[in-house]
Amino acid sequence: MSSRIALALCVLLLAVAPFTLSPFRLGLLAKYLCFAIVAVGIALAWGQGGMLVLGQGVFFGLGGYAMGMYLKLSEAGSAGLPDFMVWSGVEELPALWKPFANPVFALAAVVLVPGLVAFLLGLLVFRQRVRGAYFAILSQALAAAFVILLVGRQGITGGTNGLTNFSRFFQLDLTDPNGQRAVYAIAAVVLGLVYLVARLVIRGRFGRLLVAVRDGEDRVRFLGYDPAVVKTVTFTMSAVMAGLAGALFVPIVGIISPALLGIVPSLELLVGVAVGGRFVLAGAIGGAILVNYAKTAFSEDFAEGWLYLQGGLFVLVLVFAPKGLAGLVTGARERLAARVRKERVA
Amino acid sequence: MTVLLDVRGLRVVFSGFVALDGLDLTVEEGELRFLIGPNGAGKTTLIDVVTGLTRPVAGSVRFGGTELVGRREHRIVRLGVGRTFQTATVFEELTVLENLDLAASFRLSLPSLLRKRRGVSDEVASALETAELTALADRPAGVLSHGQRQWLEIGMLLVQRPRLLLLDEPVAGMSKDERERTGELLQRIAATHTVVVVEHDMEFLRRYARKVTVMHQGRVLREGSVAEVQDDPEVREVYLGRSAVRGAAAEEVS
Ligand SMILES: Nc1ncnc2c1ncn2[C@@H]1O[C@H](COP(=O)(O)OP(=O)(O)OP(=O)(O)O)[C@@H](O)[C@H]1O
Ligand SMILES: [Mg+2]
Repeated sequence: MSSRIALALCVLLLAVAPFTLSPFRLGLLAKYLCFAIVAVGIALAWGQGGMLVLGQGVFFGLGGYAMGMYLKLSEAGSAGLPDFMVWSGVEELPALWKPFANPVFALAAVVLVPGLVAFLLGLLVFRQRVRGAYFAILSQALAAAFVILLVGRQGITGGTNGLTNFSRFFQLDLTDPNGQRAVYAIAAVVLGLVYLVARLVIRGRFGRLLVAVRDGEDRVRFLGYDPAVVKTVTFTMSAVMAGLAGALFVPIVGIISPALLGIVPSLELLVGVAVGGRFVLAGAIGGAILVNYAKTAFSEDFAEGWLYLQGGLFVLVLVFAPKGLAGLVTGARERLAARVRKERVA
Repeated sequence: MTVLLDVRGLRVVFSGFVALDGLDLTVEEGELRFLIGPNGAGKTTLIDVVTGLTRPVAGSVRFGGTELVGRREHRIVRLGVGRTFQTATVFEELTVLENLDLAASFRLSLPSLLRKRRGVSDEVASALETAELTALADRPAGVLSHGQRQWLEIGMLLVQRPRLLLLDEPVAGMSKDERERTGELLQRIAATHTVVVVEHDMEFLRRYARKVTVMHQGRVLREGSVAEVQDDPEVREVYLGRSAVRGAAAEEVS
């Protein structure tokens, strides 16, 4: 019951935010919501499925670039070329870009490209029984390779600058506070939907199966299930969520670039989930928002220190509260309940 | 009688050590077969090969005419071969009921797996009862005692409706009372299933076994009734100094 009240309270807070926060603060909150969407996927893959996904930046980036390419083309000048291509002397639109002029194609790509990449990668890797630290390192290496690829193909990707300078998001004017509020609202709704989907997955039989795979992958085989399929499906879901978040990030923050997707940002996505509690969806969401809020607050006058502070926080949580803040809350609640029961008996 | 399991010339080598050395074994439909042998005889290895966990270097395992060697574990389960483990392994974070439900759901498609469980199927309910775990249905399996875990594992096997059950030392570490109940359970299961049981315990063997296969150093040493096997000089030789047979023999004298 109390968790329902907490949920209602959160929804209420998110609903009143556009009317109480300044456009600048609202933009920050919207950005945190994007990270929270990624966090739901991480909680699913890592918390429930035991897959330490250290390269979610890749999927975030795939979704982000798919969206960014469409937005750039929709704002392109008479030559039909994005501004950065004109500056770097590209004369014809690269073949890769052409279909992204179509909004339906671009929106589908936001979901399908990260999903497909994760699906194929998952099949390959999980079939070969790559797991634990090996999987973690592999996913991290993927993030590093992705960044190198993006930076290297400057003519197509915008290089280190990435894609930036967006003023419109479909019909919305991103320079107008109302447009910004609308984008915020979309992010909040997507977060809500992603949360509901993840909750359904966790509460269904599949969720139990996922926990079983996490705790005893080899035993699950002897129940007649293929753990590789279970893990691939879950990994794909988490990648799609990251892709959606990346796509929303573009109109909200106004940029998608390699610096946002590499090893460090991918790790940062994980820190929030660890702090909030990877076994509870609400914990992961709260943790992502909290840690990113702290990052903004500290970075304003303490930029260098933040990295160390964040690293320290991560280690502290893993050592002393492996279930994160959510674990501390449920632990306290159980102790309280136990005491109440005792008193009643006495 | 039709042959259900036909093992031919099975050879397993672990980094130079020969664990199974050209093993032949035939189990007929409806049989309750006991498999004994001293530590390291290769009993568990045999089950591992049949269930796909270990690859043999040579030999074949035919199950109802289908070759099992080379198939992946879950495929073999889907063909109808189920097993338990020497140290019972259940999912401790899941409840007893969820463990059974998961075992029972392995033929569901992915979309139907995504749905929530509604109630308890008759099959799972009866397995709960068989395993005497109805009262603990909603407790995490982590709280179960050693014996209860073994029963849960057997229950998980039963709800899968396998054609062949391979039980690896189901009464190891159980109290006398638990052994007896497991023995009765085993008889009930054997009435409707083909079962292969690995067991050391001689008393248990004498009470519940019909046909016994004795393994030694990766081969079949002898096959026959309990009495035949117990009286065999070679079997005694292999077990010499092992309290199981000596104790059993002493009991017989008294
Ligand atoms: N994975 C492995 N790697 C190396 N050696 C192994 C492996 N598995 C089993 N062995 C060896 O193979 C031999 C047969 O082992 P197995 O477990 O099949 O014996 P067992 O008959 O089940 O014995 P027990 O009664 O002790 O359970 C043993 O000597 C064991 O040490
Ligand atoms: Mg053994």
